Amino acid sequence: MDPIAVYVHTPFCPSKCGYCDFNSFAMDGEIIDRTVKAICQEILRSSLRGAPAKTIFFGGGTPTFLSGEQLDSLLKAVFEVHPPIVGCEITSEANPGTVDASKFASMRESGWNRISLGAQSFLDSDLLRLERVHKAGEIERAVLAAREAGFDNVNLDLMFALPDQSRHAWRSNLERALALEPEHLSLYCLTIEQNTAFYKKNLRGELNLPDDDSQRDMYEDCLRICAEQGYEQYEISNFSKPGRECQHNLCYWYGEAYAGYGPGAVGCLPLSPDLLRYTNLKHPERYCQAVENGDPIPFESEIIDVATQRTERIMLGLRLNKGVSHEGLPQGALAKLEQRGWIGRDDQRVWLTAEGRHFCSEVALELI
Amino acid sequence: MDQSRIRNFCIIAHIDHGKSTLADRLIERCGAIRGTAQEQMLDSMDIERERGITIKMAAVRLLYIAKDGLEYELNLIDTPGHVDFTYEVSRALAACEGALLVVDASQGVEAQTIANANMAMNQNLEIVPVINKIDLPHADVERAREEIEMAVAVDASDAIPCSAKAGIGIDEILEAIVAKIPPPVGRDDKPLRALIYDSHFDAYQGAVAYVRVRDGAVKKGDVIKMMNTGSTFVVDSTGHFGPGLQVNDGINTGEVGYITAAMKSIGDAQVGDTVTTRDEGASEALPGYRKALSMVFCGLYPSDGDQYEDLRDAIAKLQLNDASLQFEPETSAALGFGFRCGFLGLLHMDIARERLEREFNLDLILTAPSVDYIVHKKNGDVEHISNPSEFPDANEILAIEEPTVKATIMVPNEYVGAVMTLCQERRGTYTKTEYPTPQRVILYYTLPMGEILLDFFDKLKSNTRGYASFDYDPDEYTASELVKLDILLNGDIVDALSFIVHKSFSYNRGRAVVEQLRKVVPRQQFEVRVQAAIGAKVIAADTIKPFRKNVIAKCYGGDISRKRKLLEKQKEGKKRMKQIGSVELPQEAFLSVLKVAE
Repeated sequence: MDPIAVYVHTPFCPSKCGYCDFNSFAMDGEIIDRTVKAICQEILRSSLRGAPAKTIFFGGGTPTFLSGEQLDSLLKAVFEVHPPIVGCEITSEANPGTVDASKFASMRESGWNRISLGAQSFLDSDLLRLERVHKAGEIERAVLAAREAGFDNVNLDLMFALPDQSRHAWRSNLERALALEPEHLSLYCLTIEQNTAFYKKNLRGELNLPDDDSQRDMYEDCLRICAEQGYEQYEISNFSKPGRECQHNLCYWYGEAYAGYGPGAVGCLPLSPDLLRYTNLKHPERYCQAVENGDPIPFESEIIDVATQRTERIMLGLRLNKGVSHEGLPQGALAKLEQRGWIGRDDQRVWLTAEGRHFCSEVALELI
Repeated sequence: MDQSRIRNFCIIAHIDHGKSTLADRLIERCGAIRGTAQEQMLDSMDIERERGITIKMAAVRLLYIAKDGLEYELNLIDTPGHVDFTYEVSRALAACEGALLVVDASQGVEAQTIANANMAMNQNLEIVPVINKIDLPHADVERAREEIEMAVAVDASDAIPCSAKAGIGIDEILEAIVAKIPPPVGRDDKPLRALIYDSHFDAYQGAVAYVRVRDGAVKKGDVIKMMNTGSTFVVDSTGHFGPGLQVNDGINTGEVGYITAAMKSIGDAQVGDTVTTRDEGASEALPGYRKALSMVFCGLYPSDGDQYEDLRDAIAKLQLNDASLQFEPETSAALGFGFRCGFLGLLHMDIARERLEREFNLDLILTAPSVDYIVHKKNGDVEHISNPSEFPDANEILAIEEPTVKATIMVPNEYVGAVMTLCQERRGTYTKTEYPTPQRVILYYTLPMGEILLDFFDKLKSNTRGYASFDYDPDEYTASELVKLDILLNGDIVDALSFIVHKSFSYNRGRAVVEQLRKVVPRQQFEVRVQAAIGAKVIAADTIKPFRKNVIAKCYGGDISRKRKLLEKQKEGKKRMKQIGSVELPQEAFLSVLKVAE
């Protein structure tokens, strides 16, 4: 079997942040252990058993809300079913408030080799507003602890266009992150998602969000400052030192298959020439019940046929700096977009220009 | 069957008072349909079932063995329940000798109860009052009885209490039909005279005429003549309604049925015409009834200009079964080629649009509905204009007349003030008040038809917590101070958005439309100026700021499907947008004029 990307979702968090629309639950106690056991079972019963792991990614929720032992048992299950290829990138997301040197040491020992820290901001007032559990000071400590434990591949997630955030505040945030010399940076514009507390606050006019032009300025700052410091942009929101691109996320953007385990995890299986994308039951209780009773674990699935794969290839490929292959793209639309200054192209590929990156969705709309 | 054992009747009621359910029970009880699970058998269109209203009339023949041991043929002719389709009720009535007047025991008499009952009485029909939904907790049979007597002036002492839903009182109703409704009294020794009370178009058989035979009889092979158009046909088949068409060997005096005769268009079987025989036919036609009048007009355009031909074919096909739909080609600078269509009312318009989109798979843009104005020009010309963009320049106009309606509004007396305020705001002229019962009031107003097009009915319902009921009849034209309001996008008039408004409302409406457009027009890549103007004078203006970015911040494994679906939806939405100059307008923009009555 071909190597495959493996995703494991642990849905638990110390508390739910106001902007977060991921499948996460502020639960504690027995349910966590029960869920960990259920995820292990799901992995061990996988129809993809034997497919080597190209990359492994633990996301959440907050994976590091779990104990070192729980995490270890999960990764062991993955290794048993999906033996990692040589050089396999093995990432875990981590919340700076839930980690310390011993947690990192134990994770390193289990086999993790990359840490992605949800830093978000270096201002306590921002973190409070975002309802994060950690303090700014804990970010630095977490990075140091990771380094101490031997992690030489660390990512920091930061968000910009936060409520009341000035351009100056964003720049100083970015500079503090760069001072920690992470191998990778994910810089996201805050998106107000439906079904979040922020969405309701925003409707009530309680969030003073930077306008379109300020968001553009902050994004321009990301591009300029990262470039100055030797980070290459390779995707709309992602920057890395040369050779340190996130291999796991690249699999998504290349439209490759991936296995997903855990409550609410999404997987995308090869079903040549189609793909089958499924989503697991989201609530931990219901997920555990299904696993324990031997019932189907996904609650929805979708056949991604060749035409739909094309749409996704365009939508995702445009996000990458190297762009997407020319093949099958409407020439008229390409000419129009080029004239507008949103895309560049050669005889092989089409990519977004610096200006076009502000209009990625518009470009995708023209091309799908 | 012998005429003495035939009863032709219809059911009249205010909307939602349970007419279709009662029809179902009568059909079931008489075994015309066995073991069917589909409710509301006479409502044949999907749209009718979804909206819970009857639009197109249908009929059914019931064979009923009465308590006297004899078998009777009961022909039930269904009637539509919405005010837009009042004229169809009058057609159904012309085929009957009696009517069941259904009143909801918890709602009592409503505006359409009165309107329909009056129509039935004018045609000398025997009225059999039925009080429905007596099983509901708020049912008040005595009050309903009292209201029928006072508001409709029908003896309701022996009104039949029933629950169509629970099947209570159905036998009593059938007995009353036999006992109270008179049998037809046609002459079987005279030449054929049959009234066409409805028709539909069948792709294989051509026009199917629904007839009520007054005198004589008709059967396969007869050569018939339409007395109004003069055209002649050979009868292919006759039949009755089972429901559905059931071939029989002839329709006799007093009966109801259908005729097919290779009639190529619905115009060959004109509703209201009298069918007789070509040879030795009758000399005098039966009285027809009032022709349906288009009250509401709007432009219908394909979103995609390439679909113009498809749209024309679709409207023509729709018209085969909907004689009250009128259309003629028109062009708009903004929307290209399309059609000006006339409808009986807003619901009729809405249903026609839905059928065109659903049954013919078209994407349509509707312009704001308008009424038909009479414009007197200074040069002496007088024109009927229903398209605001065709209005002459203000300085060429001497006077404008607008159509009015006589409105009947029935309401509990605590809401009289609210209704009067609303009618006055809509330029209504008070006529009179009636008090059918101590708790209920009937208000009569003359209102400009154009004011009803806006959200009058919605406002009436919301201002009276849903208690008001409303019916109207077209009345005469009256002179009025009207002006044309133009809407400009980036300085260019969008003809499809122009509308006619009373001078005193022009500023408010102009501001409201601009505000509404600012809400529904999505931000574009450049700034869009929206203005409302009367002639050269701008009376309201706003700008829609351009969007400066459109990018999804993150997109990983779990989100790919969701983000893709969002993109596909946007793409669909974009397809439905209409490019006006450089500005892309969504369908809602064209109806924004409707949503702005203060």
